[in-house]
Amino acid sequence: MTKTINLTLKVWRQKNGNVKGRMETYEARGISTDMSFLEMIDVVNEGLILKGEDPIAFDHDCREGICGMCGAVVNGRPHGPEKGTTLCQLHMRHFDDGDEVVVEPWRSRAFKVIKDLVVDRSAFDSIIQAGGYISVNTGGAQDANAIPVPQNVAEKAMDAAECIGCGACVAACPNASAMLFVSAKVSQLALLPQGRPEAAGRVKAMVSKMDDMGFGHCGNERECEAECPKNISIVNIARMNREFIKASLK
Amino acid sequence: MKLDSKIPDGPIAEKWDRHKFDLKLVNPANKRKYTVIVVGTGLAGASASASLAELGYNVKTFCIQDSPRRAHSIAAQGGINAAKNYQNDGDSVFRLFYDTVKGGDFRAREANVYRLAQISNNIIDQCVAQGVPFAREYGGLLANRSFGGAQVSRTFYARGQTGQQLLLGAYGALSRQVAAKKVTLFARRDMLELVLVDGKAKGIITRNLVTGDIEKHAGDAVILATGGYGNVFFLSTNAMACNVTAAMRAYKKGACFANPCFTQIHPTCIPVHGDYQSKLTLMSESLRNDGRVWVPKTIGDKRKPADIPDSERNYFLEEKYPSFGNLVPRDVASRNAKEQCDKGFGVGETGYAVYLDFKDAIARDGEDVIRKKYGNLFTMYEKITAEDPYKSPMMIYPASHYTMGGLWVDYNLMSTINGLFVLGEANFSDHGANRLGASALMQGLADGYFIIPYTLGAYLAKEKPGTVNTDHDAFTEASSDVVTTLDKLLSIKGKRTCDDIHRELGKILWDYCGMSRNEEGLEKAKTLVKNLKKEFWTNVTVPGTAAGMNQTLERAGRVAEFLDFSLMLLEDARTRRESCGGHFNDAFQTDENEALRDDEHFSHVAAWEYNGEDREPILHKEPLVFEHVTLSQRSYK
Amino acid sequence: MSWLTDTLTSSIGKKLLMAASGLFFCCFLVVHLIGNLTVFGGSETFNSYVDHLHSLGPLIRIAEVLMAIFAFVHVVTGLSLALDNFKARPVKYEMKKNGGGRTLGSATMPYTGLVLLLFVLVHLKGFHFADHTSRSVFDIMTGAFSDPVIVGFYVFAMAVVAVHVSHGFWSAFQTLGLNHEKYTPAIKGLSLIFSLTVGVGFGFIPVWLSFF
Repeated sequence: MTKTINLTLKVWRQKNGNVKGRMETYEARGISTDMSFLEMIDVVNEGLILKGEDPIAFDHDCREGICGMCGAVVNGRPHGPEKGTTLCQLHMRHFDDGDEVVVEPWRSRAFKVIKDLVVDRSAFDSIIQAGGYISVNTGGAQDANAIPVPQNVAEKAMDAAECIGCGACVAACPNASAMLFVSAKVSQLALLPQGRPEAAGRVKAMVSKMDDMGFGHCGNERECEAECPKNISIVNIARMNREFIKASLK
Repeated sequence: MKLDSKIPDGPIAEKWDRHKFDLKLVNPANKRKYTVIVVGTGLAGASASASLAELGYNVKTFCIQDSPRRAHSIAAQGGINAAKNYQNDGDSVFRLFYDTVKGGDFRAREANVYRLAQISNNIIDQCVAQGVPFAREYGGLLANRSFGGAQVSRTFYARGQTGQQLLLGAYGALSRQVAAKKVTLFARRDMLELVLVDGKAKGIITRNLVTGDIEKHAGDAVILATGGYGNVFFLSTNAMACNVTAAMRAYKKGACFANPCFTQIHPTCIPVHGDYQSKLTLMSESLRNDGRVWVPKTIGDKRKPADIPDSERNYFLEEKYPSFGNLVPRDVASRNAKEQCDKGFGVGETGYAVYLDFKDAIARDGEDVIRKKYGNLFTMYEKITAEDPYKSPMMIYPASHYTMGGLWVDYNLMSTINGLFVLGEANFSDHGANRLGASALMQGLADGYFIIPYTLGAYLAKEKPGTVNTDHDAFTEASSDVVTTLDKLLSIKGKRTCDDIHRELGKILWDYCGMSRNEEGLEKAKTLVKNLKKEFWTNVTVPGTAAGMNQTLERAGRVAEFLDFSLMLLEDARTRRESCGGHFNDAFQTDENEALRDDEHFSHVAAWEYNGEDREPILHKEPLVFEHVTLSQRSYK
Repeated sequence: MSWLTDTLTSSIGKKLLMAASGLFFCCFLVVHLIGNLTVFGGSETFNSYVDHLHSLGPLIRIAEVLMAIFAFVHVVTGLSLALDNFKARPVKYEMKKNGGGRTLGSATMPYTGLVLLLFVLVHLKGFHFADHTSRSVFDIMTGAFSDPVIVGFYVFAMAVVAVHVSHGFWSAFQTLGLNHEKYTPAIKGLSLIFSLTVGVGFGFIPVWLSFF
């Protein structure tokens, strides 16, 4: 049922990547519990704009949990307290009147803060560019049904392919490791017969690029899996490790 | 200006093949001398960038988000059509072509649609080769479902995330070319101006959304793949950043804008909750395969839906359209839902919602089967509304979703500006007055993978490469225009936020130019928008400066273009004095309240030419000739 | 050799070194524990076990050298990983909560590791490098464990081993790529049993001996 609540926000404010940031406190009044978390920030921002102040910068786009653009650490949890949920799909009914809400950007050496809650995730693009694809040019592909793919294999590939590249795994990892992200793509393509020809080169190139970007190491702490808005499993990390060992021994 | 659609001669089935042969080629060694600018990295932009780079062109690709993978194609849920006939249920290229033309209420170009249907099969092959994990049968072959008003099963899908998977496939291909240094990627860029040199598109001006720098980029041709304008309604299923700016800049530089009034209102969206709402969420239309749409038979029946017996429910789509039932095309389903709500039968807090009920499907197939098919959608619904659709029916209401109109292009996808090509939702070409489900993904990828690589080459073959660089006066002029506009937006310092004004604009359009329109309302809306435009330019407030990241400034620029665009949209709706597809004029309907076309007077594409600030645009008509389908009253009964 | 160095210096490679050396020590713990059970047979049984071990001669040397190498690899790689991980997040969170993946073991690996390093050094000094000419190993043990401080330290260290291994054991399998819906629950169960056995098994010995 719709009701309204008042919150105290503590938000990380940082003008740009070259200056120091700090936590600032804002009051969010009359917040409908049907609002999404981002709509709540919209309301706070509208107030700031009317006062001539700089609104809180945050990344967001589709607002339906699929583009992977949004994300912040809310009360110590990437994308907030609800499991399997992006920040845009987190609704205010999960908060209580009078709550204090701490909002911070993803923290990782590889994700530099651009402004406030906006971080630079281009390291993820660099990793994909290192090999997160199947090298087929447009045209000339054989008939789509020429190679059957067992249903359970296609399903597993799809489980991995659901990754939205939001970076919550890195934000959640105590070591700021990107293994879940990288392993999701490696797994998807390693599982499918179409991806096998390049599997060995792909995993080596992607892992090497991941290491170059300054992410930490996987400690198998499973925080990534616990916080992933798409519930991507660390089974994929094991699969990537396997692929990596196989590729190295080849 | 004369519109030349450049449709090739010959029988429809041979047009594209013959045309491909007739198109001039660029020598492989010369391709690397050309630079192509691609704006947008959705299905159309990413696939075009990758395919052109593979051919050897140098490509500069721009996107608004932090990564090309986030373009809004990613949100498409349902699927992608192809005429593979894997199901042996009588599908064919001709049937897909026929269904698409009919679904578009006979306002699309036959030749384009036929080509689309032909190419549809190559797309599936290409995507599978890229590792798109489409759904499969136990035997390992691809699965299909019937979707969006089709009577054959021709839709390929990857759970409820088909758009995401196709986009990630194209993004992979694009990334590969970035690694090969054939594509230079510019993320977090807003295209704010098109640069013409001697009447030809030769570059763009962008704003770097991180640094605020105004940047000049030159090329031998410009491709816009910048999506649709659904956000003109403020509340839509589009992503927040979707905008019409690039298309409007092209329009103001001489590209005609076609059929802006053809907007699609999608029937199955989660209803509006409150004034704070920033966007609407679509629930895949595939839900209508098993869900039954109904309202109570009594006005103001406040009982819980489960307590209303079948005899007191009005399954209005099944009643009215016994043969298609709940699967009628989107425009028909939307209009009927609105009609029921306008009559007072609507449900929910606002009375603007109808039920979509899975009770019978769950009883028939079991909850597990339903969960497997729609689990992610049900979860999404529950997250947003806090109601469990396994237990009580969903509430849905139509919302702005897709726009069939767009920049006018010829058969080669070139606009009325030489060297400016437009792909995907940003052009107008293939969906007529109403797009069928699972056809948008098909069109975006057809344009990007399989059409532009041929047609762009034919244009470039006649162009000398690298004739213009950013030192040219045209770039200096264009970038100073951009700076002037940004400074103006920052200097108003009024009392209203741009979202506030955008919300008001959206409401005007939704009320007067939404699911149904009439002369009087459209006139009124034009006046309201003109006043709102004045209000915007005198009373908007944008804090901060143009240096560095300023998200409010980005939005303000977009709202400014939406305001101008709305006037053209309203004018197009006003002059199209018929009903067809998504454009429903109250004055033109059959006795059964169906859209009544006027083929004698309106079987044409309405292409609008810019005629200066605050002046009515000039209308050009491209007649539509139908040789292979018979124009008929669409009937889904 | 470049493929090998490339592999082993990568992030996954370093983890493989940790996993392989860690599993080696797990095996060692099993052998060591079985041997130690002879303590409960009294002085003679235990001393004859020790003599038997020593009679293996070169074999025991090889085992010692291997252990020293693995220990070096485990410690150095572990420290380098921990340092990298610390640097991977230069600005810490104002507030950070666990999402449900972390365990006591996983969260404390570098710290429990350092405690164990200290323990191993103390243990080696007290037993391995002790004067074996005048006293039997059994006597050395009973001598040491008559001091409640040493007993306390050993019991504490064995609790730390249990915590360290509770994460390390299954984690090694994950790193080696062995994660399977059928077998992983078993590996995790085994991990728990193993850590409890090692902790209780070793931890009980000093307590038992302190009564002599």
